[in-house]
Amino acid sequence: MAGMDIAVTGLGLVTPGGIGVGPSWAAVCDGRPAAALDPVLADNPVQISCRVPGFDPEILLSARRAHRLDRFVQFALVAAHEAVADAGLDPQTWDGARVGVVLGCADGGPGTVEDQHQVLREQGAGRVSPLLLPMQLPNMLAGQTAIEFGATGPNLVVATACASGATAIGTARDLLALGRCDIVLAGGSEAMVTPLVMAGFAQMGALSKRHDDPASASRPFDSDRDGFVAGEGAGILVMERVADARARGAHVHGRIIGYGATADAHHMTSPHPDGAGIEAAVRAALADAGADPDDVQHVNAHGTSTPLNDLSEARMIQRTLRGDPLVTSTKGVTGHLLGAAGAVEAAFAVLSVEHELIPPVANLVMPDPRIEIKLAQTLTEMPIDLALSTSLGFGGQNTALAIAPA
Amino acid sequence: MLEQLKEILSNKLKVSPEAITPEATREDIELDSLAVVELSLLLKSELDLDISDDDLLEAETVADMVRLMEERSAKV
Repeated sequence: MAGMDIAVTGLGLVTPGGIGVGPSWAAVCDGRPAAALDPVLADNPVQISCRVPGFDPEILLSARRAHRLDRFVQFALVAAHEAVADAGLDPQTWDGARVGVVLGCADGGPGTVEDQHQVLREQGAGRVSPLLLPMQLPNMLAGQTAIEFGATGPNLVVATACASGATAIGTARDLLALGRCDIVLAGGSEAMVTPLVMAGFAQMGALSKRHDDPASASRPFDSDRDGFVAGEGAGILVMERVADARARGAHVHGRIIGYGATADAHHMTSPHPDGAGIEAAVRAALADAGADPDDVQHVNAHGTSTPLNDLSEARMIQRTLRGDPLVTSTKGVTGHLLGAAGAVEAAFAVLSVEHELIPPVANLVMPDPRIEIKLAQTLTEMPIDLALSTSLGFGGQNTALAIAPA
Repeated sequence: MLEQLKEILSNKLKVSPEAITPEATREDIELDSLAVVELSLLLKSELDLDISDDDLLEAETVADMVRLMEERSAKV
């Protein structure tokens, strides 16, 4: 698979920065944090989240369609419509059998499960909605996308927790390289900001508790970081082999030139302390790309704003990529989009190589003194020949995507 | 009864109101087997009518559903 060039010809984003690529990219370039107190979490120990602003599925989809979809599928369909239109593709005329869908999520539809569990407890099993399962099953993400666009090729959902979106893009790259299909809608979507899920994260001690100043709660690589802020949203990429994209005259935003995936085999939630697993994923992605680690110029890091992740990831970057790449984490703006994060951040990295712009790390006031990598503290203009997007998931799953300009 | 059914279909199941005419078939208003179970639950919770999804599936049009609702409410 080495040397296989895969083009990104369409992008779609629904993020706490806004609905659409334009508003989302502007928010991260401006370093405008989305984190705020969340009324849905009023009874929770941690009440901070990053919501998608003004998301009205009845307007963005249709009222009837939205009624039968969990929020994580609604996000994906809205982002996928943007991505398909951006790619200049017409689902009315494409050969659907050659169109695959590979999407990732960490959890499916916990909001639907929690609502229906309340119905079960209060009104009995006979009142539980027949839509409970078809709305919440994780695979519905890809299934509903296939229905929406008439995509009848390979169709699957991958789950590697917070690396899911990146795993989906890597898996899509493999399917295209093997010739299993010609176009893939790839990415991730997540809607896990619910009282039960957020109580679970809080009990793990994973979340920032900066209630006095929620906008600054997500502060990757900062010395005062105290945990992540959960966000919601979706990122979808239209991927094709470069030769196919060029043959149809499509605009190419950037190329996915390498993918690496590994497991820590270490601990159920903590990353390997010396970052051995993510280092191996980075080296694998660069080998896949036929690139030298010292040539990486930009990293859109996983950078969750947790004490453990940011330190071990920074040490891995310093040790592995000796060309002093400029590192950002867009989670300072968006919060942690969990299973969507890898896809949204890969999209941002593609936009960085396309527009030669690296967004700053929002809320980075005093970098952790133990961290010696070069962090983007302002919006930085620079041409990028080789970028990386890294993602790590609970369970010890690590991915890296190597990204190059068109 | 037609107005009550219309209200449930449009407000709860989000069927577009203009599609809900007496002649409309289940297909016209996009009521698949899952939606018919939802409707059965709503007829019970909103109007206290016991009409099973199996019975609703026998009704071909909105008018047939209204007739079924009227029969059941008369029995109460």
